[in-house]
Amino acid sequence: MGAETLLYGYGLVCLSMLAYNLVYSVYLRAGDRRLRRRMEKLQRRIEAQLRAAQPDPAGTPRPVQVSHLTWMNRCLSRVSYLLAFDHLLECRAGDAAFREYLRQLQPVFLYLATVYRRREDTQAAYFCHFLARHQLQRHMQMDEIQRALLGFLGRPSLYCRVNALKALCAFGSPETVAEALLELQRRPDTLLHEKVITECLLAYTGDSQALIARLWERFDRFTVQLQRAVLDYIRFRSGGSGAEMEAILRDPGRDKELRFAAIRYFGRYPDPAIRGLLLDFVRDDDPLHWEYAAIAATALAAYGGEDVEDALLQALRSPNWYVRYNASASLEAHGLQYEDMLAVLHGDDRYAREMLTYRIQSRALEARAAAGRTEREEAAAGV
Amino acid sequence: MREGIQLFLWWVECFFILYMVGYASFLFLSVTVGSSDLYAARRRNLLKNELGNDYYVPVSVIVPAHNEEVTIEATVRSLLALDYRLYEIIVVDDGSTDGTSRVLQEAFGMWRIDRPIQRRIDCRPEEAVYETRAWKVPITLVRKQNGGKADALNMGINVAGYPYFLCIDADSVLQHDSLEKIVRPVLEDPTVVAVGGAVRPCNGAEIENGRVVRYRMPRSLLASMQVLEYDRSFLASRLLFDRFNGNIIISGALGLFRKDVVVSAGGYDSATMGEDMELAVKLHVFCRESGRPYRIRYVTDAICWTQVPERLRDLCRQRRRWHIGLFQSMTKYRNILANPKYGAVSFVSYFYFLLYELFSPYIEIFGLVTTLLAFLVELINVPFMVLFFGIYVVYSAVLSMTAFLARVHTVDMKLYPTDLLKALGLCVVEVSCLRFVLAWVRMTALIGYRKKKHSWGTITRQKIEYK
Repeated sequence: MGAETLLYGYGLVCLSMLAYNLVYSVYLRAGDRRLRRRMEKLQRRIEAQLRAAQPDPAGTPRPVQVSHLTWMNRCLSRVSYLLAFDHLLECRAGDAAFREYLRQLQPVFLYLATVYRRREDTQAAYFCHFLARHQLQRHMQMDEIQRALLGFLGRPSLYCRVNALKALCAFGSPETVAEALLELQRRPDTLLHEKVITECLLAYTGDSQALIARLWERFDRFTVQLQRAVLDYIRFRSGGSGAEMEAILRDPGRDKELRFAAIRYFGRYPDPAIRGLLLDFVRDDDPLHWEYAAIAATALAAYGGEDVEDALLQALRSPNWYVRYNASASLEAHGLQYEDMLAVLHGDDRYAREMLTYRIQSRALEARAAAGRTEREEAAAGV
Repeated sequence: MREGIQLFLWWVECFFILYMVGYASFLFLSVTVGSSDLYAARRRNLLKNELGNDYYVPVSVIVPAHNEEVTIEATVRSLLALDYRLYEIIVVDDGSTDGTSRVLQEAFGMWRIDRPIQRRIDCRPEEAVYETRAWKVPITLVRKQNGGKADALNMGINVAGYPYFLCIDADSVLQHDSLEKIVRPVLEDPTVVAVGGAVRPCNGAEIENGRVVRYRMPRSLLASMQVLEYDRSFLASRLLFDRFNGNIIISGALGLFRKDVVVSAGGYDSATMGEDMELAVKLHVFCRESGRPYRIRYVTDAICWTQVPERLRDLCRQRRRWHIGLFQSMTKYRNILANPKYGAVSFVSYFYFLLYELFSPYIEIFGLVTTLLAFLVELINVPFMVLFFGIYVVYSAVLSMTAFLARVHTVDMKLYPTDLLKALGLCVVEVSCLRFVLAWVRMTALIGYRKKKHSWGTITRQKIEYK
């Protein structure tokens, strides 16, 4: 083979690539038109059903025709039509007749759950997103879809798992959501970031107390990563888990991240029974325990008392930068006056002095910023 | 004598055919993979296969600056317009001799503060720290003694309060959703230690609140050619390397890093000029040597708009600096070459950069000299030479246009017919002329480079059209 042939070959492949690119871009440009056409087609069919399903003189709505359900099964099995239906639902969100029509589409969504479960990940993820977005099951009370969604959680695609979890949090029972977390950890190769799990749980629209109870029941079956996400969720959602958190905090065998989460919980929901333990953490000058001291120093911002202030002032002299920083922030939160801190400011510990000076200046900066904001707001309001 | 030359030219011909086939195959593969990745990403977005924007990883945005009084305000304003909640802005003024610090203090009402800085990475001392809390997020300005860009970045890391930091250039503007997009790989995979974003020339773009409201090819022909070059480089090869965790460059204009890993690895090396590449390679080495599972990712939808030089002299200076940086990183981590421990990073990425980036100017100039020699001794097949050069130009131009169109079409950017024509014409000029000029610049870059160890490089800045 001559060099020319090789070169021509490459040139040809590249030109085909360019042609493909141009054709594909034209196809993409026509995407909006195609979507509109599909929406119109769906709308026509649905309007016909809505007219036919006008309530009888007794006010009872007439059922949607079986042939229409079959057509919808076939139609929405194509992701392009599901996308169009998604847009249509958005446009008709406040329509009562449409809601009643949707209620009657129950069997279609159940059918679609079995169809999309067999589809490639991108489409399966979209189906979960569709369910989460329109919270369809909330209006339908179908346990089967919840069970089907648990199956989606085992898919390798991260988006599919996140969307399925979101859908369950949008309309699932506390029992199913807690089960969903166990399902997630069955794929240790594709872990979800704990922030994602916490945020999904925070979006749970049902009874959060019931969910927290179910999560505590299964807590020891979760991996440490999931436990952290659950503890963060509980901390952000409710203060009714003091006993469980205390047990974690007092158990030295627990992963340190879990104990940190428990300290943060008690910083948000102060408990006099824990005060002594937090003080012990702050007073602990073992360099290996600096993380406990630093987090406890932050938590102590919510606890009053002379002993707390003494401990925090002492922590200002810690060799660890973070302990000093957090202690100074907590002292500032206690509203400690300049005179109270005079001993430190004039003391011989340069690090403590620097940190405290910084916090005092930060407070002045915050005050100045707040005054500036008020001034701007007043000017905008024409005061 | 003539036979000797003939034999020499035969060997040169063989070498160049192999070299060009290798390069053409690589380009073809990378552009194909890049284009298909972009279209797949578009489909994923359409079908909502993406993490929502409610997840916030706290990020410290570090902006190292040296004599950037013209652009620094626009840069910080673009940072304040980011669609993100949990971040802070840290500007490190590395001994500027112009009014960089003053511009910032006046524009954002900053106050001097005695802030203690924990020095986990060695860097030159600070002269003053200024802060303000009057904006959406805290802004900190650290004025320090001049020590170079890497040293300024190390200071920024020391000041950073969050577990991830993002570094951007002071002459760049971030697109409003860049931060949200660049942290996604971190949420998707907890082993991600660094993420690079796409860099695009902002010459010709009109940016409002971090959104590009109008984009035209730059007026300057030189800047337009760089648009094509950036598209080819960022949309093609980096996506290919991303497939096998092989990216060994994260552009200094936009990169997100996990702070604890960077601190453990020793931070930026202030003795190199290409600190961005040096850090990326260092992270590969550090994570592999310590047996830590890791990923270095590249995302195409986190976009940073940067000013590219519009004067040839500035462009040559910039490329000289880049080439020296490349040389320093490649030689510092030469043990990666042909080392099975590094897998594809060694046998594909490092090898590619060695052969087609570091050595390429020498090889290209050698090729031209050999052609001249063959012409002088009348041993050249002129029609073949013309054909070879023609195919090379068409091939490179087609690949540039493919990358350009893929980028334009997948980000819903309006393409004006005049811009398309401009791109078509300039892609030929870029591969047939500019490339050889820059090859010469890169070839001569290493002469006397040690003297400029800490220099920032001086490029004439223009005010960024930021509203």
